[in-house]
Amino acid sequence: MSETFNEPFPLEYGRYEDARKLLNKPGKRVIAEFSVNWEMIKVYCSMVEDGNASYWDEDYANRQWGGIIAPSGLLLTWPMSLQWHPYKNREHYFIAMKIPLPGDTLINVATDTEFHQHLYLGDRISVVDQLIDISEEKQTRLGIGHFLTTKAQFFNQRDQLVAEQTNSLFRYYVPESNALEKNS
Amino acid sequence: MSREITLKYWDEIRQGEALTQVTMAVPFERVILDAAATQDYFPGHHNSAYARHQGQKEIYLNTMAIEGFIDRVATDWAGPHTFIRKRQMQMRRSIYAGDTLCGEGTVDKCYQENGRNLVDISISISTDSGLCVPASLTLELPLSQST
Repeated sequence: MSETFNEPFPLEYGRYEDARKLLNKPGKRVIAEFSVNWEMIKVYCSMVEDGNASYWDEDYANRQWGGIIAPSGLLLTWPMSLQWHPYKNREHYFIAMKIPLPGDTLINVATDTEFHQHLYLGDRISVVDQLIDISEEKQTRLGIGHFLTTKAQFFNQRDQLVAEQTNSLFRYYVPESNALEKNS
Repeated sequence: MSREITLKYWDEIRQGEALTQVTMAVPFERVILDAAATQDYFPGHHNSAYARHQGQKEIYLNTMAIEGFIDRVATDWAGPHTFIRKRQMQMRRSIYAGDTLCGEGTVDKCYQENGRNLVDISISISTDSGLCVPASLTLELPLSQST
């Protein structure tokens, strides 16, 4: 690595053997910092130019769903950690960030989500995530690393299951030879 | 300004039907807005040097932005009465600042299960570089006589 970057989130570093010890051990339940709110819904919908009346039109949303609902693509946002908090260290709920491996970066590969019910304004979710699979070391066009598969369950404040998500990402490092090739 | 709402009903949809194509430009501003809107400050989404270190050519959209665009392709076509029950997606190519997204889809299957009226659709998200994200969704929709 020719330059030093801030780590995106506090990644844990270690060996593949250490990572395997964390398989199928659920992380602690994290309660979302953000309750579901219309302001963040509007910013997100503005970003993808989604004019769905379920997110923008109170009259329509009340008739159709009983209130404004959250876009399903915002599911992962509600439990995101703040950049700074006066009483808590920054800790990402996504367990893939806490798996000890050599890779210094990552990229998402695949996401499957099942939605059981809508989230409404004022709802506050909690999430439990666990590592369910980890590959042996692989080389891809991006670099060398491991594919991690995690499964997260999202609950509302009434402890009802809202959604389940299985996610695969590649935790890797770029070998010097790749970096030299890119810079030549 | 009012928007016209298009509503598709389960019993009016046919296998093989094409979804309305949706395109959207992705300037740098949108990628930065993505990081802020989703609270995802992973530096590949806002720091060009970091993205290049990762083997990417530029900063790129995160999964949540792509999910939002996929869902928009589905609900712009089917209408706001759609309940997205499942979404499966694979990130095969990154979507970079400077790209233009194109979302297209087709209806794979209409069926009823556990009292729900369901439609399986396939959506492809592409840029000038080709297919970036293939996705499969299951939508729940009302019957026309239920309204």
